[in-house]
Amino acid sequence: MADTVFHEGFFRIALWVSLALGGLGLLWRLVTWLTVRIGSDAREVSFGQRLWAAIGGGVGALFSRRLPGMMGAFFLDVLFQRRLFATSKLRWAGHLMILVGFTVLLVMHALAAWLSGKLFDNYYATLNPFLLLRNVFGAMAVIGVVLLALGRRRDWAFGRPARRPADGIFAALLAVVLVSGFLLEAQKIASPKAFYRMTDEFGLGTDAEELAGLRWVWKQDYGVAFTDLHGEPDADVLAEGRELNSQACVDCHARPQSAFVSYPMARAMAPVTATLDAANADRALLWLHVLACLLGIVVLPFTRFFHAVADPVSLVARGAAASGPLSLAGRVSRRALAADACIRCGLCDARCSVAPIARWLDNPELLPSRKVQATRRVAGRAWTRVGDGDADRLAQGAHLCTDCGRCTLRCPVGLDLADLWDAGRDDLAARGLPAPATWIQEQPAIAWAEALGTELGRVPPAGPLSADRRTFSACVQCQTCTNVCPVVAHGGTDADRVDLTPQKVMNLLRLGMVDLALGSRMVWDCATCYQCQENCPEGIRVTDVMLELRGAAWRQLGPVRDRRRPE
Amino acid sequence: MNYALFLGCKIPSKVPAYEVSTRAVLGRLGVVLHDLPFDCCGYPVRSLDRDASVVAAARNMALAARAGLDVLTPCKCCFGNLRHAQRLLDEDANLRERVAAALKAEGLDLPTSVRVEHLLPVLARGVGLEAVEAAVVAPRAGLRVAAHYGCHALRPSAVTRFDNPMAPTLFENLVRATGAQAVEWPRRLECCGEPLHEANPTLSDRIAQGKVADAREAGAQVLVTACPYCHMRFLSIQAGRPDALPMMLYPQLLGLAMGMTPRSLGLDA
Repeated sequence: MADTVFHEGFFRIALWVSLALGGLGLLWRLVTWLTVRIGSDAREVSFGQRLWAAIGGGVGALFSRRLPGMMGAFFLDVLFQRRLFATSKLRWAGHLMILVGFTVLLVMHALAAWLSGKLFDNYYATLNPFLLLRNVFGAMAVIGVVLLALGRRRDWAFGRPARRPADGIFAALLAVVLVSGFLLEAQKIASPKAFYRMTDEFGLGTDAEELAGLRWVWKQDYGVAFTDLHGEPDADVLAEGRELNSQACVDCHARPQSAFVSYPMARAMAPVTATLDAANADRALLWLHVLACLLGIVVLPFTRFFHAVADPVSLVARGAAASGPLSLAGRVSRRALAADACIRCGLCDARCSVAPIARWLDNPELLPSRKVQATRRVAGRAWTRVGDGDADRLAQGAHLCTDCGRCTLRCPVGLDLADLWDAGRDDLAARGLPAPATWIQEQPAIAWAEALGTELGRVPPAGPLSADRRTFSACVQCQTCTNVCPVVAHGGTDADRVDLTPQKVMNLLRLGMVDLALGSRMVWDCATCYQCQENCPEGIRVTDVMLELRGAAWRQLGPVRDRRRPE
Repeated sequence: MNYALFLGCKIPSKVPAYEVSTRAVLGRLGVVLHDLPFDCCGYPVRSLDRDASVVAAARNMALAARAGLDVLTPCKCCFGNLRHAQRLLDEDANLRERVAAALKAEGLDLPTSVRVEHLLPVLARGVGLEAVEAAVVAPRAGLRVAAHYGCHALRPSAVTRFDNPMAPTLFENLVRATGAQAVEWPRRLECCGEPLHEANPTLSDRIAQGKVADAREAGAQVLVTACPYCHMRFLSIQAGRPDALPMMLYPQLLGLAMGMTPRSLGLDA
């Protein structure tokens, strides 16, 4: 059986502890898929119903017409990642390299004692092809990380896509594991100390003079950095060394040149090998490498790497939903899962229809990758920590979305983002942040004027049109605008009747009473059909003024809102 | 004829048949459409932030200008807003400067000579009514059609220059070109209620229901639109009603008259 560090006491315990903690974290995260409630309809289903839908529905789906869709999703979407392939070849290549490189290293290298060692008759980590392959897959993972980083930077709409603090931890752990792995191998190749440890273990002793021949062979052929060997070896000594090498070493040691990453590193590190040896660097690097892996297991459920669990589930659920609508409980759980499955890759941001508007408003909360996080925060406990200003920016993001659906089309993990945005707006409304039209109409114009707390009329002009007196000075109060207004004509009952007619709004502006006009229902009930403007005998731009008032109301009434704070 | 096709946000996601039928019909009539990486036209933020809306519109037109193309949009709200933005840029030097600076940051120039057209005038005036009529091989003889104009293309006429705002004929002429009959209905120039839907759904529904009832009373067998917002509005208020007035997008009506299959016009859904 192959040797493994996990046979040693400390590492063995650390492995089990890590697996237990990682497992608990995983369970915790899985449970949130059934407890997090996003959207008003989410309150209609219980935890039990959602659990039943997940287990019962999931198992049931395996024996239903949903099976082909789910199988297709597993092979094409999860394994081949065709959605990412369609969107970004660069990122697809990078991601696949990480996936393959990491998975092979995990299975064949990290779990060598349990798998490779049993699968292959003659498994030694220091023999080929294992030596070569470890470098191949390690290098593959490193190149994959670089490609992904390049792709991610290229696709930034503006600023960074959303991030979570733990995203950095994951990136750091990944880097530590990969770099320490290569460094460890390099140090072991070059280390005289490791050489003597082996000769001692195999009964050859540690006497430098006696082992001179073997040392020459290992210096020349294997790249061990012996600092005391100079010039050319004596031919007899070398021949003796070769004889010993072929008897004692070659069965388990291929020449390390095939470790095409670690070997050059070992050569480059030769000047400091002795120093590193003195500090027991190989031991330290082994600890670092293994502990970083174990820490990775512990934090996995709380870092971006959790997508390795969430995304396959999300994609298969999507495959199931493709062959008929899911139950409400299923849909609600899929929504909760979406926030976990989003890895904030930012591909959606790059083609978001309102990205230019987000840039102009300098509010990245309009971008979908941010909105996924915001929706989750609003639905969860984190909402109570959102400040007013932040809440307004989140609301702006939610309400300025044009529902163009491009993010849903582009999402490489097939999240139903359109559904998430609808549900998110529900939640914002429930927490006192509905669309501006709704909250402004919650109180009459006079109440808004009082809230502004200024002397009647003393607020800044609503915009360039209403600031210009010539805009209304020609108004003769003929009421043509009111007479042609379809909103006035159709607003019959008390509940939805307009408060001020268009002509009255114009008159208020003419009198300089902007504050009363700002909070008027009429401003928001305006259908923007331009009948008033087209028909005005004086050519007053009535509708354009209404639109200008909306913008001003949104900006000026927001700060004086009596907020119902989140529960 | 070459145009950059501006679909806007609603057509691809909510009314894909409009894109399919527009491409099918224009392709047959020799209008070549080009696809550019357009974003939102700015219409949805026009109320809340005029400047943001103008920047969004200008950026799209700048993309067209860089490609040396004029813009054709099947959406009346996109059309109205792009034209509106052009007007604001013309009359407000300060705004023009700030927008130009924002575009420059992306390597784009302020668009000055891009023409923005709606699908219907391109058909009626660009392709020409005679050419449209000549392409009709299966006239919709006897079909009584109510043509719904849509506010944001028709008004304010000083900005949109779509047709005579009080007595337009453009849409009816296009309906007649398919061999169908255009019914007279008093509310043909009224609002569909869509822009009011979020603020006041009851009122919005009442306005839309009134229009559909008016078309039906005028003897229409089908209500034809040329805007995704209007189309969605009339579809949603009639959903599930047994007496629903059938809906069609203009290029679907024209395509059928040109002998195309319903499937190729997105009508088989």
